Amino acid sequence: MTDATTEATHSGGTAGAVPAEDPTAFGWLNTADHKRIGRLFIACSLLFALAGAIADLLVRFDLASSSGHTVLNGDSFVQVFTFTRDALVFGMLIPLFLGIAIYVVPLQVGAPNIAFGRAAALSFWGWLVSAGVLVGAYIANGGPGGGFSDGVDLHLLALAGLVISLLTGAICVAVTTLTMRAPGMYMDRTPPFAWSALVTASMLVVSLGVVLGQIVILYIEHRYGPRFLGGNYGIWSRIDWMYRTPQLFIYVVPVLGVVAEIMLAAARRWVFEPLALYFTMGLVGLFGFGAWANFGITDEGADIVDGLEGIVLVGLYAGALAGVSGLLALLGFTLWQSRNRPRPRSGAVSLTRPNTAVVAAFGAGTLIAVAALVGLIGTGVDWLQIAGRGTDGNAPLRFTTWVTGQQSLLIYGAGLLGGLAALHWWAPKIWGRRLSELAGFASLLAIGVGALVAWLGPTLSGVFTEQPQFVYGAPLLTTRYGSQVDDSGAEGLSALGAVGVVIVLVGVALVVLNLLVSVAMRKGAETEADPWDGLTPEWLLPSPPPLGPAAALPELTSGTPLLDAELNGNGLNGSGAAAERAAEEVPA
Amino acid sequence: MADTTSTLEAPQPGRYSVPGPPPRPRSQLVGTGFAIAAGAMAVAGALGHYMARRHASGIDPGHDWLAGQSVPNPQLVYALITLLVSVVTAHWAVWASARGERSHTWVGMALTLVMGLAFFNMVMFSLNRMGLEIGSGEWATLAFAVTGLSLAILIVGMFYLGLMTLRSLGGSVGRDRSTPLGAAVFFWDFAVLAWAATWYVVYVVK
Repeated sequence: MTDATTEATHSGGTAGAVPAEDPTAFGWLNTADHKRIGRLFIACSLLFALAGAIADLLVRFDLASSSGHTVLNGDSFVQVFTFTRDALVFGMLIPLFLGIAIYVVPLQVGAPNIAFGRAAALSFWGWLVSAGVLVGAYIANGGPGGGFSDGVDLHLLALAGLVISLLTGAICVAVTTLTMRAPGMYMDRTPPFAWSALVTASMLVVSLGVVLGQIVILYIEHRYGPRFLGGNYGIWSRIDWMYRTPQLFIYVVPVLGVVAEIMLAAARRWVFEPLALYFTMGLVGLFGFGAWANFGITDEGADIVDGLEGIVLVGLYAGALAGVSGLLALLGFTLWQSRNRPRPRSGAVSLTRPNTAVVAAFGAGTLIAVAALVGLIGTGVDWLQIAGRGTDGNAPLRFTTWVTGQQSLLIYGAGLLGGLAALHWWAPKIWGRRLSELAGFASLLAIGVGALVAWLGPTLSGVFTEQPQFVYGAPLLTTRYGSQVDDSGAEGLSALGAVGVVIVLVGVALVVLNLLVSVAMRKGAETEADPWDGLTPEWLLPSPPPLGPAAALPELTSGTPLLDAELNGNGLNGSGAAAERAAEEVPA
Repeated sequence: MADTTSTLEAPQPGRYSVPGPPPRPRSQLVGTGFAIAAGAMAVAGALGHYMARRHASGIDPGHDWLAGQSVPNPQLVYALITLLVSVVTAHWAVWASARGERSHTWVGMALTLVMGLAFFNMVMFSLNRMGLEIGSGEWATLAFAVTGLSLAILIVGMFYLGLMTLRSLGGSVGRDRSTPLGAAVFFWDFAVLAWAATWYVVYVVK
């Protein structure tokens, strides 16, 4: 349809005119189409992944010397450290999966567009501008601990802008899943990724809301107040729970959705109990609510892990671990059930013919489980140690680089591997082309190995040398750090972590290069609508779906219409789990 | 990036049999609910911070939390009562809208907005009378921050109500189109509740 508007009608009457998308480059600026907004988020978040990894590399190189700062100086170290977290979490991890969700979720639930398309566009542009201002504030020596007072204020305003923008995008995704599903697509038939996006969006709404209130207080205190919260040095300790576990688990719930999507497609069957699938992902999101773990509000709060708060933290990790392991067990059982299921055609994805998406998804899911287990062990040790016999002068693990290790595992490992899996899986749907498998496997290997090394270095350092994680709590940790790192072996382990980040950086660069060559330079193979034999509704649409809202909605009776069609083609009726049960009687 | 400008290809039989997007009246209401959840967590987080600082200051017996600041509560109580009455008129507007009574809807919305403005007038008067100076002490700074956050939410609520009122003047009101107005009033309910909590914590309990 080439008219300026697409007249859409529905059973209840005329729905009104919806504006057509401008196909020119200018259309990217004023778009309200979820496909363009999603692509913009994905592309820009990968650039922040590069920036964040480079900043992390500088920090770890600096920590690799016991003779003081080698790459950075005292002021810039603190700011590069905090920028690393800002870039990797607010620049890469949340926006990457938000972008994928904005693109994929409407297609999965049969919606014509994302809910509040203009708000979703505002979310992207607000995020981009805020991120630019944030970088500018850092450059002007205005990060946490920075010496330029107005720059620090600007940094806080930019952070508030980032939070509000991401909140807006999260609300758009959540509302799409809840209210814009196609007729027949009930909540208990929602595809796994759409459900995981709903879980993350809901948890972002409640957790980022808390940090917004904190930022308001920090801004007023820093700009006008008597600096009773520590001024520019007090900022980080009051917001750094956003960058640590258990809050990080919320950000990687979409990775679990990606894992479930790919594993179920490989199994060519639906899980025997869909509610368990939804429940386990919800559990991870619920127990990842990190605002409960914020002990930085009061100055004495950092030492109260021995009380009820210690039990709460242990419970949070235990709940997250139960959710992740339950989901992986469910998917593993489904794969085992389908071991003899015949594949409908040779191009189908399966465990016996693994591609980048399958292996990356498997790795990402495993790393989330490892992170939850390690987090539970670390918090349990802290709690038992302090509750049982006091600290004995030993630093709790959660004040050491143990935390850096966890961040590496979840951001680099789970986040980037999950992102890699999602990009390879949905590249045909997003760009109409497959990404290079060779470059995909190379990046998969680099990110996986790099993340493990980047995790091991600081984790071992935290356990054996008690190297403090820099910039936690009170100011002037430089001296504390300097006094504890000398001749302790921490510098060697920091160097090991730095090597890991270098390898991760190579992997991220390969991902960006793969996208440039396969998509931007159009070297990737063009694909049909459903190159993987996927199960979920987006694979019914052309690759890529045309711009603009759909003129007609799919009538769906489950989240796996292609599986239903396959089973019905075998003479079976029904959908989802009911059809699966009937399929058990079909001879292989 | 490959773009195409046409709409979806011809529907496949049995797959694209529902013509056109159906109306989504609940989307705005659900979206407002999420915005309320975020706002509620922001206010709760800020109030939690306030209470934690107050608790910490109580440990030091020589510390004067209020720093000699007096709080004139009668005016703030009247302001709260005004807001509570505005909730009633707002719901009157939604009730009338659902029954297609446009004149009642507009009168209800107009009264709500006028009382909202009156509330701001009273609060500004009270704060001026208090002589609350931002940055003059810990309590004053925190009170300013938390009060400012709640007032900002009320301003957003006023803007939302005003926008829906303008839409109702344009004809987007009636039995089958009252949900957007209801969403705005839903947000107004929350904004009033957030202010009530802030008032109680900061100006009553102090």
